[in-house]
Amino acid sequence: MNAYIEQMGLIAPELVLTALSLFVLTWDLLKKGRNSDHIGYATLVGLAVTGWLLLQQWGMLGDKGTQTAFGMVTIDRFGTFFKLFTVGSMAVVTLFVMLDKNERKHGIGEYYFLLIGASIGAFFMVSTNNLLLLMLGLELLSLASYSLAGFHKGSKRSAEAALKYIVFGGLSAGVMLYGISLLYGLTGTLDLGLMGHAPEGSGAVSLATQFDASPIPVAIAVVLVLAGFAYKVSVVPFHFWTPDVYEGAPTPVTTFLAVGSKAAGFAALLRFVGALFLTDGVDASIVAYGDRIGFLLAILAAITMTLGNLSALRQGSLKRMLAYSSIAHAGYVLMGAASMTSEGFAAAMFYLAAYYCMNLGAFGFLIYFEGVTGKDDIDSLKGMGWRHPVVAWSMVVFLVALTGLPPTVGFYGKLILFYAAIDAGLAWLVIIAAINSVISLFYYFRVAKSMFLTEPVPQVPMRQHGLAGILCVLAVVTVLAGLGAFKDPLRGWADEGPASLEIYATDAGSR
Amino acid sequence: MNVPTEHLLALAAILFSLGVLGFLTRKNLIIVLASIELMLNAANLTFVAGSRAWAAEGVTGGSPLQGPIFSLFVILVAAAEAAVGLALIIALYRLKQSVALDSAGELKG
Repeated sequence: MNAYIEQMGLIAPELVLTALSLFVLTWDLLKKGRNSDHIGYATLVGLAVTGWLLLQQWGMLGDKGTQTAFGMVTIDRFGTFFKLFTVGSMAVVTLFVMLDKNERKHGIGEYYFLLIGASIGAFFMVSTNNLLLLMLGLELLSLASYSLAGFHKGSKRSAEAALKYIVFGGLSAGVMLYGISLLYGLTGTLDLGLMGHAPEGSGAVSLATQFDASPIPVAIAVVLVLAGFAYKVSVVPFHFWTPDVYEGAPTPVTTFLAVGSKAAGFAALLRFVGALFLTDGVDASIVAYGDRIGFLLAILAAITMTLGNLSALRQGSLKRMLAYSSIAHAGYVLMGAASMTSEGFAAAMFYLAAYYCMNLGAFGFLIYFEGVTGKDDIDSLKGMGWRHPVVAWSMVVFLVALTGLPPTVGFYGKLILFYAAIDAGLAWLVIIAAINSVISLFYYFRVAKSMFLTEPVPQVPMRQHGLAGILCVLAVVTVLAGLGAFKDPLRGWADEGPASLEIYATDAGSR
Repeated sequence: MNVPTEHLLALAAILFSLGVLGFLTRKNLIIVLASIELMLNAANLTFVAGSRAWAAEGVTGGSPLQGPIFSLFVILVAAAEAAVGLALIIALYRLKQSVALDSAGELKG
């Protein structure tokens, strides 16, 4: 019995979040729709506790991870990195919800409940080697996201966004599940570690053995599962939903989808690819196939970033432009996965951390701007720079970072991604990415130009000090994280992630 | 009566293809959701078929029940997805008086 309790300690952050979600839901019921800000504060406290527990866990974990719950949950630094990431983005999104001028102040407790639910899904999704738990985490994240996208149920745009999201989400879930079922049929196990390398007597057949016997079913199964992940991180050709959903959903939800949900998708993608093709014990015959998968990912990355950037060029709405920009950034991160080295994985993780700062900032600016004008088109930005200088200059910092210019973290993140890709022999991909960065300069700076270089349109002066404060902090972080003193520790954290990504083949005898 | 595994897998593949086909060609949102259910059931059938085949060969990959249990969870997920999906369809119907996919045309570009 004590052993069970000890094991439960490993998933303490998840348990705290679960308790928090139930507490929030109950409290909301008892309050019967009065001011919901208290629930927001409670959520923030719960998230702070979760974050503290995760930091403790990071310190306790060595280079190697550990497993709990009969091998279902794998706790390692790779997962903890992404959990910290999720908690951080959740905290900022919670603040955005509380400060959003276009959001009701009353009776929105279930907003927080759904956000916490999505985070619990993301937590389990990033910390498992078992495809069953991975799928359940992904579904929990998705189902909460569908409901969140349709949160403004009286709004046609919100209802439509949610519907498009669930229809395409359901398709991708079906495709991915069919892929998982084929993988299970081929290997006789759901454990990614055993699929990569099945020791004698483990009661499973490794994917490599099956690949030698019948390559085509294996290839189909792996590609089907990858398609599910590609949907989650909106990689071409599974990106249709992104602009519509991002535009129609409430802006704080869009922020969560673009940052938290996307990072969780990438974590699962990296773990899946890493477990099957990269780990030390993986049977040699499948490594060549892994390289081909890497090449496929490289091509998808190139198409994704180009299409995202070219479409962003002709958007009139800032929200939609940011949606396409997030597609382009998914392409950049995918470069790290495509390089198929632990260096590349670390670069992808670092870039996601950079993406976290700059994208939260950019969406926060959008919420501020919508609060002031009630619109989201770039032309209405006229004169923002003169009326709201602090917020506008913060936005300039985010735009510089999104373009990938020094001295911000965005520049450094791209730099190490490019190095990793060149080391992996993907120089052509780096050239395409560099050209894309230049293209992105045009549309990012259209925003800055609209804010500073055009005549102000008359508008009601309205200040939102809380939101402006958050944006300032994020802007400072975006710059500082690109400088040595803060960059190096972050780099170190990102490097330790893939190092801990060793796969712990479940000991069949212990069951 | 013992149905060969190949037949089960072929049936699952056909079900899956029908699901994809329905998803791509039908315009009614409820039929689209039903097509997704077909795809999920194809996965279920493959899980159960795979589990039976491996058990017959004595390969269990940790636990012989992994496949059937996974399909139980898939049924659960399918139910949850249908619940959320139908709720969203009702929300759209209240606004547009239609359940056709084409009626969702507010967002474009």
